[in-house]
Amino acid sequence: MAHIHLEDGSFSIFWVIVWWAAAVILVGISLYLLRSGEKTDSRKITIAAFCTAAAFAIFQIEIPVAGGVHLTITPLVGILTGPAAGCLVVFVVNIMAAAVGHGGWSMIGANTLVNISEVLVAFCLFSVLGKITKSPFARAAAATFGALVCGTIVMVGIIIISGVQGVTQSSATILAGLSLVVAINLAVAALEAIITGFVVTFLQKVRPDILGGKQGNSGR
Amino acid sequence: MSATMVSQHIPDLDLITSYAERNDSFFSKVSPWTKLGGLVLVILLITLTRSLAICSGLYIAILAVYYLAGLPIKKLFAWCALPVLFVLSLVGLLAWSEPGTPIVSFAVAGVTIALTDNGVLLVFTLLLKALVSVTYSLFFLMTTKYEHFAGMIFRIFPSPLDQIFLMAYRFLFLTLAMTGSMLKAVRSRGGGLVRSIRMQGRIFAEVFALVFIRSFERAERVHTAMIARGYHGSYAAGTAIPRPGFVGYGVLGAFSLIIAIVVWMVPNTRGW
Repeated sequence: MAHIHLEDGSFSIFWVIVWWAAAVILVGISLYLLRSGEKTDSRKITIAAFCTAAAFAIFQIEIPVAGGVHLTITPLVGILTGPAAGCLVVFVVNIMAAAVGHGGWSMIGANTLVNISEVLVAFCLFSVLGKITKSPFARAAAATFGALVCGTIVMVGIIIISGVQGVTQSSATILAGLSLVVAINLAVAALEAIITGFVVTFLQKVRPDILGGKQGNSGR
Repeated sequence: MSATMVSQHIPDLDLITSYAERNDSFFSKVSPWTKLGGLVLVILLITLTRSLAICSGLYIAILAVYYLAGLPIKKLFAWCALPVLFVLSLVGLLAWSEPGTPIVSFAVAGVTIALTDNGVLLVFTLLLKALVSVTYSLFFLMTTKYEHFAGMIFRIFPSPLDQIFLMAYRFLFLTLAMTGSMLKAVRSRGGGLVRSIRMQGRIFAEVFALVFIRSFERAERVHTAMIARGYHGSYAAGTAIPRPGFVGYGVLGAFSLIIAIVVWMVPNTRGW
């Protein structure tokens, strides 16, 4: 998983605005892509809304390791809904999470960027790996792990670039301090990759239509 | 314990909704736009300031408002556990390397690690900021009716973002109830989350997938029912939302002025 568990007031106003603006631009592009196609399919909206609810519910299940980590299923969201709808899903999930104190309001921009990177990488890897292997488990697990590694890199990058208000250490010291968080995130990423692999395999068996009717060919 | 309650330390959406719909305090009658403006200003203030005294004063004020609104204080403290844990787990790590007067120090592999006064101050300040944000957010959620939230979402977000938001809110109760049931099933068999995943990863994943599919099928049924009632991809929420009155604008104006004074005139207050 990768989610910045910092609350409001951790980033300076400058970086809050920067990350929010970047997230709004990406969400705006997603909206444009969704609206520029043929008439928006209400079933696709239903799937995206359902994924939002499921992702939010999974966010709430804390695994009691080193201060609490959780699965995000953002790679699964990317695989199921595609990058455009996936970007909207993670944006809404982060707003809902902020409302109940899971990450701050001012962190929504940064957290959305982290999660969008996971959605995009998972979707791309899942699609590309379809040309290499037909195993849904291998594709989903590899795509999920790759996406979560990418998400962790983006998360650490955002924290190092922004700094934390009140922390006067150098970037290298902050990175050293975050190394434990990174290590735990990567361990949980491996766990989430296995779970997502099983979930996609199971979905492929019983409801292949959720995966777009054929292996992993979800909509845009 | 309600159906949607996943843990004692995670806000219970059933209870929050119940308070939002039934609370008849003065604050429930305040315009939702005023409360939303208040949220923006509160977040702005805690982002701009680094003063422990200002954060403490703000927290006490918001806690008093929360109490006066007749909202559950004990539940609030339980729900704050997770944000507090988040701050301690991340900022707690960074606090050990902050320059300042050492309070506690020890050596690991020849490297001295010290917890300084500045490190402790950093943790307390960010902790208070988290508490301010969470308390005000829950106050906002628990004193604003669903129809008003739905109306605000419909007005603020462009389509189809608003549709995803509004439908997700409805599905949330179904999904959380299913997730809660799954967790109860795991615990009733003597399992813990970590242990269950480690020992029965495949079964756990299939149960998780089954929950996913069952929730999805329920969502599909809701979607079909909505189509039968005329839904065609646009979920309009046209409820009239009370506008801020003179008092509402006055409170927001005064708060904005206080923020300006606090940030620009009180020495050693501004953030970085």
